Amino acid sequence: MTALDPITLEILTEVLISIVREMRATVFRTARSVAIYEAKDFSCGLFDHTSEVIAQSEDIGAHVVPLPWSVRSAMAEFKDDLAPGDVILLNDPYRGGTHLNDVTLIYPVFEAGRLILFPAVREHWADVGGMVPGSLSGEATSIYQEGVRIPPIKIVERGTPNRAAMTLLLSNMRVPDEREGDFHAGLAACKTAERRIREAIARYGLDMLLAAIRQNLDRSESRMRDRIATLPDGEYYYEDYLETFPGGRLEPLLLPLRLTVRGSELVADFTGASPQVPVPVNSTLAVSAASVFIALKSILDPAAPLNQGSFRPISVIAPEGTIVNVTAPAPAGSHGEIRKRVIAVTVGALAQVVPDLVAGDLFRTSFHNLVGGVHPRTGKEFVHYEWASGGNGAFAEDDGPSAMASIDWGDLNTVQSTEVLETRFPLRLEWSALATDSGGDGRQRGGLSMHRGIRLVAPTATYSVLADGAILPAFGVLGGGSGSPVDSHVIRDGGQVRFATPGKVGGFSLVKDDVLVLQSAGGGGYGDPLERPVEHVLSDWREGYISAHRCRDRYGVVVGASGEVDAAATEALRRQLAARRLRLTVVETQADLYLRGAVSRRRICRLSPADAAGAGLDDGAIVELVGSSAPLRAWLVIDGAVQSGTLPLDTLGRRVLGAAVGAPLHVRAL
Amino acid sequence: MLWLGIDVGGTFTDLVLYDEASGAMRLEKTPSTPRDHAEGMMTGIGRLALALERVERVAHGTTVATNIALERSGARMAVVTTRGFRDVLEVGRGNRLVLYDIKATRPPALVPRSLRFEVGERTLFDGTVLQPPPAEDLERIVEALRASGVEAVAVCYLHAYANAENERRTREAIVKALPHVFVATSCEVLPEYREYERFATTALNVYVAPRVRRYLTSVATRLAAQGYCRPLAVMTSNGGTLPAERVADLPVHSMLSGPAAGVIGAAHVGRACGHADLITYDMGGTSTDVCLVRAGQFAMTTEGRVGTLPNRVLQIEINSIGAGGGSIAALGAGRFLNVGPESAGAVPGPACYGRGGEQPTVTDANVVLERLGTAKPLGGEIRLDPERARTAVSRLATALGVDVATMADGIVKLAVVKMTGAIKEISIMRGHDPRAFTLFAYGGAGPLHAAFVAAELGMSRVMVPPMPGNFSAFGLLVADVRHDEVRTRVTRTTDLGFAELERHFGELTARSRERLAQDGFAAAAMRFEASLDMRYVGQAFELSVPFDTSLVTMKDVERAFYAAHEARYVHATDDPVEIVSLRVSAYGIVAKPALPRAPATGSLAAARVDERAVLFDATPTATAVYARERLPSGAVLEGPALIEEAGTTTVVPPGFRASVDAHANLFLEAGAR
Repeated sequence: MTALDPITLEILTEVLISIVREMRATVFRTARSVAIYEAKDFSCGLFDHTSEVIAQSEDIGAHVVPLPWSVRSAMAEFKDDLAPGDVILLNDPYRGGTHLNDVTLIYPVFEAGRLILFPAVREHWADVGGMVPGSLSGEATSIYQEGVRIPPIKIVERGTPNRAAMTLLLSNMRVPDEREGDFHAGLAACKTAERRIREAIARYGLDMLLAAIRQNLDRSESRMRDRIATLPDGEYYYEDYLETFPGGRLEPLLLPLRLTVRGSELVADFTGASPQVPVPVNSTLAVSAASVFIALKSILDPAAPLNQGSFRPISVIAPEGTIVNVTAPAPAGSHGEIRKRVIAVTVGALAQVVPDLVAGDLFRTSFHNLVGGVHPRTGKEFVHYEWASGGNGAFAEDDGPSAMASIDWGDLNTVQSTEVLETRFPLRLEWSALATDSGGDGRQRGGLSMHRGIRLVAPTATYSVLADGAILPAFGVLGGGSGSPVDSHVIRDGGQVRFATPGKVGGFSLVKDDVLVLQSAGGGGYGDPLERPVEHVLSDWREGYISAHRCRDRYGVVVGASGEVDAAATEALRRQLAARRLRLTVVETQADLYLRGAVSRRRICRLSPADAAGAGLDDGAIVELVGSSAPLRAWLVIDGAVQSGTLPLDTLGRRVLGAAVGAPLHVRAL
Repeated sequence: MLWLGIDVGGTFTDLVLYDEASGAMRLEKTPSTPRDHAEGMMTGIGRLALALERVERVAHGTTVATNIALERSGARMAVVTTRGFRDVLEVGRGNRLVLYDIKATRPPALVPRSLRFEVGERTLFDGTVLQPPPAEDLERIVEALRASGVEAVAVCYLHAYANAENERRTREAIVKALPHVFVATSCEVLPEYREYERFATTALNVYVAPRVRRYLTSVATRLAAQGYCRPLAVMTSNGGTLPAERVADLPVHSMLSGPAAGVIGAAHVGRACGHADLITYDMGGTSTDVCLVRAGQFAMTTEGRVGTLPNRVLQIEINSIGAGGGSIAALGAGRFLNVGPESAGAVPGPACYGRGGEQPTVTDANVVLERLGTAKPLGGEIRLDPERARTAVSRLATALGVDVATMADGIVKLAVVKMTGAIKEISIMRGHDPRAFTLFAYGGAGPLHAAFVAAELGMSRVMVPPMPGNFSAFGLLVADVRHDEVRTRVTRTTDLGFAELERHFGELTARSRERLAQDGFAAAAMRFEASLDMRYVGQAFELSVPFDTSLVTMKDVERAFYAAHEARYVHATDDPVEIVSLRVSAYGIVAKPALPRAPATGSLAAARVDERAVLFDATPTATAVYARERLPSGAVLEGPALIEEAGTTTVVPPGFRASVDAHANLFLEAGAR
């Protein structure tokens, strides 16, 4: 093994990262899809011969982090059947992809007859065919409606382009010349990388380069292992849901996670996840596994460099045919919801282990809103697409940031300019503001959501939304409250028009002067709101982040006529609010606390009729069991067999909540 | 007459005094005095021992506005904005600055929410006033402003770039009731669309303005006390100067004051000496600024930032990285060795300053490598202590298990890799091959590293101008006065006649001609440049297209855009195009100092002052040391060599050849044996 001094190691590390940056600049400069050169919806990476990523671009996590799964799948297909001049193309979600729009190019680089490295580029192509322009449709029931599926194929073989395959692909896409431009941009990036790799080999020698790669992977691995080793061994569990409305009724899809820590290794097991469904909620193994990694990195080691070494101690089990590992022919177009829910369950499980490092849940959804119609000024069709971010979760040191892109999004603009929007579309914004009271209550408050009122100034238009978290909001941790749920509705003639399937609306007809109200989700709180320092509550109220009502009823702070806090009244009110909480004694139960629905299971909470009535809770209401880490959500079943004052809880539930038999547990309405 | 350039940087205050009659230049360098920068400046002037009555012009580069913004030590201010939009300044574009960190926060807005007041007014995108500001709203707000005791107010209304009427009326109401409060409107500061960027730039301007005004007034007063009563020219980020009174109103234009002066100086010297394609490399104590100059023209951008705050005024595209002589080398988690971004700054400074710094910096590494002479004090005051440098570097070397020479060499090599990364971003990543450019090195640490940076990038030539340690101060003396005017009119090229376009440019030019006349320029000393910001319909970013006499129809304008698009993005189609903004840059041309001349006579032997064992690749190598001022025109010397002068040292590594031209520029060329 070549000896490598620590300085040459750092220099070669910079050389490798700089190759990826140059690839990135090449794609950015030459691609044709607006999504690529404006939304930066693409990623680049360098891989070694074992398909481990050795350097990646840093941008949109959702895009970059799943890339290694695609590469591995392609390499499994070709194994030794690769030669200089081959270029592989793929987008198959069932084989390491994310969704069909993300098309990956892989470019093996040989040196002295030996495969050493391969650059890869993944680009979001604006259209890959399918039932709607842009290929992504909330109405898709199978992948065939989402575009052309490309299994790993050699689009260039020993330097000769496969024109038949290319023509066939492009014939099935809208605006084919643009797609061809995107392809060439990716190819140019790979060729640039090849040139730089050869320069590095000429200067430092192949052995030195490979040694640097090995050492980098190893030290990233040991850095992640060190972090995992600080966690106590054990099995940690958490569960959450995605929302669907088959036949117009809520069908929550269960997403459970069993996180096992053993020494310096970690296993994330999604066994028990809801079966996949014929609506765009499912996602792929690459997306699910990458999301686990994004959450772990963001919690355990934010500053670590991105390479496969840090993935090594982490394994992910996601059964095929479930919402986290979709198989043919279920749709895989939307991955934003699975990503955010996988992050939520990872946070929920880790909240039991490292409460100081986690945060309340973030804003639940990518909140894809579409307003489309004909622009009266130009007579042409227009589509306004908006994806306002919401509140992020609060954490031990600070309140959650309001309306800010989440960890899986990275540095993406999420709140669009009013002036740009009004110049382009027949729309007028009535307001674009932070929503008062939308952040989850807590010792540290969750971030606030965006609240936007959009007036239609054209005669007609249609509105569609694909979102989640309209029923189940972002959860708080360590006793913190939930953020506000996602909402959209229409103000028409002074009244409100609400949707029966919130978060899932297709083609609703808007008329002139309708005001479409969009509210993203608030972030979860951290810690008991009654422990929030009084001066922070007062400042939140003065700045309008919370209402007077919430200041008093949730935080127990009494403000006198002079605008100053009445300390004695505050102390009394805080005691009173704490005493008023529904606290039940945990009792053991062997009964199944999950109810089977049409597709999936959901947790139930059995309460005595007296306790339910006392708390004003109806049968079927959604409640939250508040323990020492993240709360469990459950559907209420009023059960005469339950003794009043008690809460039957299974072993799993007791473990998540840190609640012993005989101990009191706080139950509250959601 | 005398001309005086004063550049106040974070660490040192540099002065250049030019005597127009004799062509002589005098330099001075003194430590900056952050508590009151005017003090350090006056110390420097005192050392020059000059009668300020004899000075015809003073040009000033200052970091005051930038420091106020970065330290968040600006005015208590309020914002008055359109109803429903007070959170624009807080939310921005809803993006995330720190990736992969569940505890990332957003820096607080400059103005708390309770001091962002809303008015029920509204203008539409086409300039139509839907609702003028109601009198009762204005009364209520004036009272609220009075009660809040703010000293400055930003008025930021939607679509004010299209029609400034509502902002103007609001401004009048506030000024009338509260005459001592500083008020600026968004259309005065940045009449361009995209409300967050415009509001944020306006708020930034208002935030720093009261303190910048006090500073500039204090400078003017002190200069006047010593007999200088002419206008004070302040360097702005676009590479021109503006009178201090105008900068006091628009200080947001001075955020790149010092770095811009260096680029202007480089472009000027390069052009005059036949090197029009440059990459400027200004490495100081805490940061390094690089800029690409092509055919004598530097790239411009509106995508600036001050820390995390957007600053969208037109400015030179300078890539600044947080690595300089004071950058600290340290070992992070997982044994990752880093150089920067932590910096020892001016205080405590590198370990060798002996002011309490203990961690090894790039400067310490250069001292250990014997590249930086320790005989003469820096800025006349700071003595470098080689023992402290060695102690600091050897501590890190022990931690890594290498010897001290290898460690010092490694720190410098890693710093060089960072520098090359910054240069790649403005060259390779933008489609320019750095090998076609000359590396133009200055700043206290630039000439120390330039040869290594050039070699790493495959650049064949380094140019070190005279007085590299005071170069930005020299740049101040060659900068013309520059006024930029902009008008935003988002229109498709098919919806706008060419005559209409010319009318807009005519109006903008007339306004800037008036400004230059006010500054005292005759028509012959005025120059105007017009350009358009254009894009394809549907794009979010614009490209700048020069508007010159070769364009006579709208088709020509479109073609010019296609060419610009192809140059930047490799492809172009004939899809619909729109114009976003029209710009006019107006220059008032000032007389430039004559370039210095190298001694016509003299010899290498006479210039050779010392020889010492300098470490190259961690190996001691006998190296000649030359005094730069004694090197005659036409001198050629082979590396390894050191060329010392006040404020900096140029390293000529083995395998490099150095030569001196008639204007006393040093050129380093690789492989020229």
